[in-house]
Amino acid sequence: MSSPGRQRKMAEINNNQIEFPIGPQHPSLDEPGCFDITLEGEKVVNAVVGVGYNHRGLEKTCESRTYVQDLYIIERVCGICSHAHSSAFCMGIEELSGVQIPPRAEYIRVIIAELERLHSHLLWLGVACHEVGFDTMFMFTWRNREKVLDILATMGGNRVNYGVNTIGGVRRDLDPASIDMLQKTLDTLEKEIKYYANLAKTETTLISRLAGVGKLSKEDVLKYGAVGPVARASGVRDDIRVIEPYGAYKEIPVHMITDDHADVFGRTVVRILEMQESINIIRFCIQNIPDGPIAVKVPRRIPAGEVIIRVEAPRGEDIHYIRSNGTDIPDRVRVRAPTEANWHGMTHMLTGEYLADVPITIAAIDPCYSCTDRAIRVSSGRDVEVMDWRTLRRYGIDFYRKKGIDLSTLAVGR
Amino acid sequence: MDILISLLKVLIFPGFLFLSVYGFIAEFLDRKMYARMQNRVGPPWYQPIADFFKMIGKRTLIPADASPWIFRIMPFISLAAVSAAFLYVPVFGNKAVFSFDGDLIIVLYFLTMPPLASFLAGWYSRDVYATIGATRIMTQMFVYEVPLFISLLAPTLLVGSWSISDVTRYYSAHPLYALINIPVMITALIAFQCKLERAPFDSPEAETEVVSGALVEYSGRLLAFFRMSLDCELVLVISLFSAIFLPFTTGIVWVDFLLYLAKTLFTLLLLTLMKVSMARLKIVDVVTFCWKYLTSVALVQVVFNLLIRGVLKQ
Amino acid sequence: MNREEEIVSRLCGAFPFLTDRICVRQKNRIFTDPITREEFEQIIPFVHDQLGFYRACHVVGTDDGDSIGLLYIFSDQDSILLALRESVPKSDPQAKSICNLYPSIILHEREIIDLFGVMVKGLPNGPHYPLPDGWPEGNYPMRKDWDPKKFNKQTMKYEQSGEAKENG
Repeated sequence: MSSPGRQRKMAEINNNQIEFPIGPQHPSLDEPGCFDITLEGEKVVNAVVGVGYNHRGLEKTCESRTYVQDLYIIERVCGICSHAHSSAFCMGIEELSGVQIPPRAEYIRVIIAELERLHSHLLWLGVACHEVGFDTMFMFTWRNREKVLDILATMGGNRVNYGVNTIGGVRRDLDPASIDMLQKTLDTLEKEIKYYANLAKTETTLISRLAGVGKLSKEDVLKYGAVGPVARASGVRDDIRVIEPYGAYKEIPVHMITDDHADVFGRTVVRILEMQESINIIRFCIQNIPDGPIAVKVPRRIPAGEVIIRVEAPRGEDIHYIRSNGTDIPDRVRVRAPTEANWHGMTHMLTGEYLADVPITIAAIDPCYSCTDRAIRVSSGRDVEVMDWRTLRRYGIDFYRKKGIDLSTLAVGR
Repeated sequence: MDILISLLKVLIFPGFLFLSVYGFIAEFLDRKMYARMQNRVGPPWYQPIADFFKMIGKRTLIPADASPWIFRIMPFISLAAVSAAFLYVPVFGNKAVFSFDGDLIIVLYFLTMPPLASFLAGWYSRDVYATIGATRIMTQMFVYEVPLFISLLAPTLLVGSWSISDVTRYYSAHPLYALINIPVMITALIAFQCKLERAPFDSPEAETEVVSGALVEYSGRLLAFFRMSLDCELVLVISLFSAIFLPFTTGIVWVDFLLYLAKTLFTLLLLTLMKVSMARLKIVDVVTFCWKYLTSVALVQVVFNLLIRGVLKQ
Repeated sequence: MNREEEIVSRLCGAFPFLTDRICVRQKNRIFTDPITREEFEQIIPFVHDQLGFYRACHVVGTDDGDSIGLLYIFSDQDSILLALRESVPKSDPQAKSICNLYPSIILHEREIIDLFGVMVKGLPNGPHYPLPDGWPEGNYPMRKDWDPKKFNKQTMKYEQSGEAKENG
């Protein structure tokens, strides 16, 4: 299945250079993205970054649904930074309607946001270790991540896309049982994270894979506009929780973690230390959370206006732009996920690296390929057919029925 | 009658059938130990056999650009070489099925076949990932062959013979001399890990870079036999290692067999420990590491052994 | 005077045509009313060199009826966001890219080309983003008059009248 606009020849050896495709399907990528790499031996000479495979048409969808329905769509922009997106969206609407949400809700939002940061960084650590072939660490970090997901499931009802936010506050309160579970898990996690920090500093094979790879100097960060841990690992002070505190972060002391290595090793160190900082923030919140209601009522029609909101998602600065026209359906919703800002430095980081460093460099910006949907085009000979999910399912059932296997009785979740 | 007994030894025990069954068991134990060390459950005991039969039942697809003859014959060359080499390694104590002065060289020669077969299979698959994987296999082979050969030949300097059975006999008679060879024991273990393409030296088949390396286009029956030959290579390597470096034999046949099993499983444990605790090294780092550390240690040991031989002769 | 007002006054001083068209809407947020292409091209070097807005975070495309609005958002070392609204008429949808000063805007400007149909000139060669390579010309999904129900996914054609019939 290839689109006619991009014909690729396999194993083209031309002037000692090979066209090496990483993607759209590749074991090192969680989601599809195409990196056309030109190799000379083991060194990368050129890299073309192509993303947009996950385009789902979310913004167009948001324009024909009400704000409350859009909340659920925006939350599903990404599975791992879902709370950051929904918080930003809610904050935007609350600002447009001039509503102040209760302080208890602000604290609960921060607790969930920091838990999300914890499980996102643990996921990243596992994926990065898997990319360098260190499966043992991958298994350990994901086992610890399960503990965080268990808490989130208890608090929100789901492991990802927890649906804690609502316009005007949060939907669920913290009960003493889950706070107890939270405290115990934080104690265990603190010990494990200390172990990971130690490992990152002393394990020679890991350091040899991470150090000196994917270099992006401070000037390049400012030039290419990188955000989040990528920027902080190069010494740039860029953390929205500190620069422009929002919600309960105005009262919570947050230490910005920066590092000077400016490579993948620096990004690893920044993320591990940020995990420790998240644990401290959650502990502070649990001790100082005020009592009170958890939500206020917000009118359905939002007054006309426009607003730009910035939050610190686990991957960096997340910008939401909302324009309302006085009805209960938004005029324009735009989400700029942090990964979109981090792609621009990718070609610069990849050129001159070894092939073995390409997967970890791509993984080190913690990519979350989140945009619109791509239709599937099947071209067999001269006929070109476009398939949506229903047609694809029917095609698959017919294909196997010809071989004598009947799959049509399997129930498919809609 | 002799021919019948020889055929039995070659094909059944301790020949091909024993080798393949022990290969499956070794693969299972390796995967189970690997999983338990990572706090996982691991596969059940019949997993390697189930995988083998499943793969045999799948359709074999040969790419249009690939060379069909080379594609088809490579797994069997690899398997044949490993099975032939196994006959020279002693399983019951000091005596292998066949042995003569110089069979160590033959075994080492046969051991170069599996990587070479993978290389040719990858090169003739005409696929980008396979090409890069195949080049990496060859690069790795150039760097570990030298320390491997030197490490395995250093103990034979004291013995005065290049027959594996003689080496085992000598060191069983003088077990303390085996302690002299500890440095090359370590380098041989690391070089073997390189040959088997296991972490930290699994750059040729790095899943996140070259998908599956040289064997990426293989499927079905051919892949089943390639995997089996890699399992048999594992058994051959651990048997060779324990024959040369872990030399404790009594004279009683069945006790020796149990000792053989214990020694080989201990070697397997060491190899799995190495696999579990390290990340994958880049191919350039493998080259540097092998030349800088392995070869130099092995050479120093050779010189040392020569001196000891001079001392012992007096 | 706080930092936002200082920036506003510096901008109005350098570009008098901005005098009533720029305001501090909320804390840390400076918005402008729609400005033309030519005015925008004059302001950009000043914003980059003199005011210290080193990063172009984003460009949001909006469909404003007769024109397409390009809301460029810039940020600096503090928390201030400057949102310059360039307005491009639909009858002549062309704009000039700012990627030579701000390389971090390339992907977002490509999005404007694909989704809104504004030809942003001056971008380096690269693949389409985010729409697939075989997307039919003239279809700009984010314009208000483009209805997703009228797009026939089988023929990849936009049916002007009625709903598209889908094969299955």
